[in-house]
Amino acid sequence: MLLVLYFVFSNLMRVQVEHYQLFLLIGIILWNFLSRGTSMGISSIMGKPSLVQKVYFPRDILVISTCITALMMTMLEFVVFIIFMMIFRVLPGWTIAYFPIIFMFEFAMILGISLSLSALNVYFRDVQFIWAVVLQAGFFATPILYPITIFPENVRWIVMLNPMARVIAILRDCTLYRIAPEPMSVVYLAMSSLVVLLIGYFIFDRLEPRFAEAI
Amino acid sequence: MAVQVEHLWKTFQIPHERRTTLFENLVGLMKPKQYETFTVLNDVSFEVEKGECVGIIGDNGSGKSTLLKIVANILRPSRGTVKVKGKMTPFLELGVGFQPELTVRENIGVYGTVMGLSRKEIKRGIDEVIEFAGLEKFEDTKLKNLSSGMQVRLAFSTAIQTDPDVLLVDEVLAVGDMDFQQKCFEVFNRYRKEGVTILFVSHDLNSVRRFCDKTLMLESGQRTDFGDTNEVIDRYIYKIEKNKPNDKDISENEPAQEKKSRWGNNKIEITGVKFIDKNGNENSNFAFGDPITIRIFYESHEEVSHPVFGIVFYNQDTYCYGTTTEFKGYDTRAVCGRGYVDFKAKRLQLIGGKFDVTVAIASSDYSTTYDWHDRLYSFNIHNPTRDLGLFSLDCSWSGSKDA
Repeated sequence: MLLVLYFVFSNLMRVQVEHYQLFLLIGIILWNFLSRGTSMGISSIMGKPSLVQKVYFPRDILVISTCITALMMTMLEFVVFIIFMMIFRVLPGWTIAYFPIIFMFEFAMILGISLSLSALNVYFRDVQFIWAVVLQAGFFATPILYPITIFPENVRWIVMLNPMARVIAILRDCTLYRIAPEPMSVVYLAMSSLVVLLIGYFIFDRLEPRFAEAI
Repeated sequence: MAVQVEHLWKTFQIPHERRTTLFENLVGLMKPKQYETFTVLNDVSFEVEKGECVGIIGDNGSGKSTLLKIVANILRPSRGTVKVKGKMTPFLELGVGFQPELTVRENIGVYGTVMGLSRKEIKRGIDEVIEFAGLEKFEDTKLKNLSSGMQVRLAFSTAIQTDPDVLLVDEVLAVGDMDFQQKCFEVFNRYRKEGVTILFVSHDLNSVRRFCDKTLMLESGQRTDFGDTNEVIDRYIYKIEKNKPNDKDISENEPAQEKKSRWGNNKIEITGVKFIDKNGNENSNFAFGDPITIRIFYESHEEVSHPVFGIVFYNQDTYCYGTTTEFKGYDTRAVCGRGYVDFKAKRLQLIGGKFDVTVAIASSDYSTTYDWHDRLYSFNIHNPTRDLGLFSLDCSWSGSKDA
């Protein structure tokens, strides 16, 4: 996957980015975290009807545990990424300190999306298919394969409204290019991930009581 | 107060067309949603004191399991409140979360976690569980290779490792062999001694009788009775008849069936048969050991001297007992017009089940049958003892050491 994308984009499209391999890889890993976390999370309630119907426990545990599973899978991918960084002799600077913070924001967002979608999926079974399409579209709408600079200056802010675009941009800057993020950017991310998480919890909380009946 | 249920309502909506996808819901916005509401629990209130064992009985679909699920917090009430004090363990279904690919030991871990045990408790109790379930030889076998009986034993043994304040039991004892059931009873008795509050749903009136201090009776979602177990069960058994007045009409005039199962020259006709219980009410449900009176109504079209009334009890196709007025030395004298004779038994010694009854009238020398109703009537017997078979002997056991 990475190789195909690498050849297509670096040769055909002539994307001129320093360390394009790593640029691409980190983007894909971060996007995969989102898509894996949410698509596993979305069926976490529906996939365990016996547990939901037969015993009581706080149901959000199911969602949280699948999200943590996705988190651990992503951690493993980052081990591979570190090896690649060593091969290409790219050393991160002190800006790497931002990495865990931003990464946690992404996790919070994934948890929020998973909570709301998994609850909705109990009542509307096609939510998971709709979400798969949304993810597919998001993959191309987010600057993962290409740098943000391919957009004209005046539309960039629209692209950057997408929190995932910001997560990926900031993490690239701080791991590969030793550029510290703008404080406003971090604040925007913190706010948006918090909002997503709260909305997710709210929806989950409202829909949770009738799970055992509707499942 | 360990469990307090106040004015509990539960209604389910049954939509005429089921919409489970977003697409269907969007399309369905055009049409108004049609659904019926179905009330499962209708204003149920009761209180259980700490350490009490309460049985919940009722016919199928009367809301017993729904009630238990609401107390267990799996379903939420539509209205009303449920308060439970202390740690609650539901035994609604055994073996939730079992993974067929894992070994017995690993499954104890999984299931223990589901039942709310901590890692330490599981580690401490794991050998005890295996021993109690009698699976020492199989502790590293994959669960899928175990027989279903072994799986149930394993689940039960794991579940009882919990140390609850309130225990909810739903028909768990129905599975498993006699030996295992006995074990279950021992465990529940131990729990009772430890002062655990138990809510026990069962169809098996005998185990409710053996176990529970109090019994709650539900009938189509309504609490119809709550109180001392023996009284409630007695009322339950003797009340079934009252709710089905049609049964009796059918058994009294069944012209279609009577053609085949009825014969005789109709000199004297049997016009009706009534089963009368200890309270003097007509009934078709009796408890073992209670008195029964069977009243046979007749109508004679001409004077007949010394007719003989006979009665036979069948269980399925087994001929259990038969007697006549003549065998018992009762003289019917001359009979003319309407009247009745009573067959009285002080103690019903037949054991559990449905019994068919044949009644007949014949001439004094049995040469002519006036009217014969072959197994047209029936009654049920509930057996609170643990005796087996068709009938019981008046007996007791004793022993002596020197032989």
